[in-house]
Amino acid sequence: MSEIVLKINGAQVEVKAATTATLAEVLREELGLTGTKMMCNEGECGACTVLINGEPILSCMTLAIDAQNKDILTIEGLADPVTGRLHPIQKAFVERSGMQCGVCTPGMILTAKAFLDENPDPTEEDVRHALSGNLCRCGNYRRITECVLDAAEKMKTGEKDEK
Amino acid sequence: MKSEFSVFGKSFIRKDAIEKVKGDVKYIPDIQLPRMLHAKFLRSPHAHAKVTSIDTSKAEAMPGVKCVLTYRNVPKVHPLRKFEYLLDETVHFPGEEVAAVAALTPRIAEEALKLIDVKYQVLPAVVDPEEAIKPAAALAQENYDTNVFHGTDLVQIPRLDKDHWLRLEVGDVDKGFAEADQIVEVSFGWTPVQYNCSPKPRTVICEWTGDKLTCWADTQLPLFVWQDLAATLAIPQANIRVIANAAVGGYGGKMPEKVATLAAIMAKRTGRPVKAAFSRAEDLIATHHRISYKNTHRVGVKKDGTMTALYNKILAHWGRDTTVPYICQGTGLLGSTMLYGCPNIKSETCGILTNTVGYGPMNGFGDPEVIYTLERLMDMSAERINMDPVTFRLKNCMRYGNRAMEYEQVLYGPIKWGILGSDLNSFPELIEKCAERAGWKEKWKGWRTPMATKGPVKAGIGMAIGMHHTSFWPSSAVVKMNQDGSANVLSMAVEMGQGYGTIISQIVAETLGLRYEDVNPTLADTGATPTSRGNVASSGTSSPANSVRLAAEDVRKQLFELAAPRLNATVDALEAKDGSIRVRGTDRKVSIASLCFAHWQITGHANNPPYDSIKDEKTGQVIHAYAAAVSIAEVEVDTETGVVNLLRLTSGHDCGRAINPVLIENQIDLGLVMANGWVRTEKYVIDETTGVVMNPNLIDYKLSTFLDVPKSDDFQRFYVEKPCAWGPFGAKGMSETAMTAVGPAIANAIYNAVGVRIYDGFLSPDNILKAIKNEKKR
Repeated sequence: MSEIVLKINGAQVEVKAATTATLAEVLREELGLTGTKMMCNEGECGACTVLINGEPILSCMTLAIDAQNKDILTIEGLADPVTGRLHPIQKAFVERSGMQCGVCTPGMILTAKAFLDENPDPTEEDVRHALSGNLCRCGNYRRITECVLDAAEKMKTGEKDEK
Repeated sequence: MKSEFSVFGKSFIRKDAIEKVKGDVKYIPDIQLPRMLHAKFLRSPHAHAKVTSIDTSKAEAMPGVKCVLTYRNVPKVHPLRKFEYLLDETVHFPGEEVAAVAALTPRIAEEALKLIDVKYQVLPAVVDPEEAIKPAAALAQENYDTNVFHGTDLVQIPRLDKDHWLRLEVGDVDKGFAEADQIVEVSFGWTPVQYNCSPKPRTVICEWTGDKLTCWADTQLPLFVWQDLAATLAIPQANIRVIANAAVGGYGGKMPEKVATLAAIMAKRTGRPVKAAFSRAEDLIATHHRISYKNTHRVGVKKDGTMTALYNKILAHWGRDTTVPYICQGTGLLGSTMLYGCPNIKSETCGILTNTVGYGPMNGFGDPEVIYTLERLMDMSAERINMDPVTFRLKNCMRYGNRAMEYEQVLYGPIKWGILGSDLNSFPELIEKCAERAGWKEKWKGWRTPMATKGPVKAGIGMAIGMHHTSFWPSSAVVKMNQDGSANVLSMAVEMGQGYGTIISQIVAETLGLRYEDVNPTLADTGATPTSRGNVASSGTSSPANSVRLAAEDVRKQLFELAAPRLNATVDALEAKDGSIRVRGTDRKVSIASLCFAHWQITGHANNPPYDSIKDEKTGQVIHAYAAAVSIAEVEVDTETGVVNLLRLTSGHDCGRAINPVLIENQIDLGLVMANGWVRTEKYVIDETTGVVMNPNLIDYKLSTFLDVPKSDDFQRFYVEKPCAWGPFGAKGMSETAMTAVGPAIANAIYNAVGVRIYDGFLSPDNILKAIKNEKKR
């Protein structure tokens, strides 16, 4: 066991974990952040995706100790922490029912966030490629694509409003 | 046009949407209880073997291990309808549980498994179902007299014939074949096994409080888990509470297994809660998957396309499972007679036991496995008489007034045909609309004529139709009015992603004139909700949701009776609208909130009536509810590599009445994508001699991804609404039907492109190339 320090959703947390513990295990079992879902626990499905320094990574394939001193964003940290307002991608998923069973949803939303942050004006084909590492057994691919394109649109106009 | 409904037909936000996008929803694997132990299972490496010795002493001595179970220290009982005992001295497939360990952490439990020393005497095994039915075959179940299932003490199938085959006959097939101008007969390869692949592998948590057990189970059938726990633990159901309130997509796979009982025993012996969670690999090798059929069909047609006779022979591979496959098979047997209104049909089926993982229910429950081959045969017969496939289906498809039955009648009798309701007039309409939307007339160039040819790449179009029942069975619900006029609806049915909690809230809001926001569901808790069977057989909308409607009507009646004296009106002059009980056509009203505040005990309850009490208005005959589907696929096939590109999919469905359009579209998408995976990418590979699963992970077992389905413009689905006499406000289940026509449509499109029939179940590049090569040799 070793003491590790993680920066999760803007807050620093200290946690005791085995050096072999994955980030997914530490998030879910030590910190109770069960919003990070697991489908396979072997790097095949994308469900456990979290963002590290803005990049999507598979938390089941990442050791917790390797995530130290980096900014970790999990689904729990995506909505506005003060107002609770949903991120535009979350909002699009809610409004258009972009989920069925919902297990792939957090990973799907975080992968989409990382993608849209880099590609604010994507085509449908871009979105499909960006999300193709995330499996949805409920087959909601068409709807999820719609949600991400809708969110991209809203994020662009939202930015204009602010300016 | 103003809708007659205020809450129906609108895509309200799912009741669980916000918790799902925020990661707040707690599925069973997310639950952690204080002092909770973790269970892991030791599995048999052999397909069939007797445990001659088992030494658990080292595992028991390992620090952190709290309980070890083997066949020697658990009750000798059968889990629900199964051949094997809870933990058995004899194992019947590679992957069967031999021992269980509960420890402080999953890792300690896994390490302890390695310390258990088991010696096996390997018994003769049979893996290939066609070998299994040969007279000299090894017995898959050593204490059973044959590999063809014919019931046990726990499972009786009264309608089985003496030779262990189940048969269903309409009219006179011999006469029908004699009248035919053309007869086409084909034997297809085994339909592919498909892994349910719930996004969460099987998980259960058991905790005892005194002599009461709470079991959090990720299941679509809390009722069965409840019954099974009571039977195997020999305690009353009243002492057990099964909670499945955040279940994860089951697709037919989340059925009870012995795991819940084993976890309960370990929890009892240790005095601590026990969580048993399968890994993805365990879920792949040790739960049941889609049943596999080997179908032979013979059809007789006249030159004008009239079908005169149809014969279907269905071999069904069950592997080791005996929980539900015979019911799937009953469905498939009936399904083989239900797609076409042919007057003379004979269908027969038998269920084959082997020493592989179990095969049973999965999305479609026995029907897609018949339709997949039957619809290819129909294409072949249309070609034989040179008739357009669309015209052929329009001429022969089922519709209002055609004979129909419940699948349970096929198993248990009596055979008494009723009819399809007027909603089934949707079939011809769907076929025509689907053809129009796909541009069939322009694209179909005739038999053996591809849509387009670019060097070795050929494009083709194909169609198929499908059907599946939408079950109606006993079910009850409670609608509980709160003092502020909001309502909770209590139902034992499960929300596993399909949107059940959302649609029942809409039904209550519609019936009582409440806002959708003021209704919330309480689901799938056997200690708190009235009984219903669970979410299987596309029954959610037609059965438990129907009892919800009746319970809401019970509340409405009570509200009317309370409001009538206050409004100085008779009950039949009242309506529930906009949060009030009103005198129709006047301004006189009293708010529902004030009635609920004054009479705080208002609670509605209702049971569904028996299915055969629902009769067709016109003919007076008993109605059976089915849903229809039509799919048209367009593909490109590279004849040098065998690679198929699914260019376009157009699919039409019927739903009786759309309660929530977006949820319906999502369920259609599920079916279309799952069917594409079933026939093209999701190959489940079993070693032919050992029965061992060769690809138990999601890299080698390939689900469809974003890139395996067509883009939005080329992925067209629609539905039509024709009220069904069964369901609430005319709605009916349609989810499983969605997948039924996709597989054969793709197969028929490949044929149109390359001019060669693929008889194998799996439409993989190697099978396509093999078929092309064989054709060239001929």
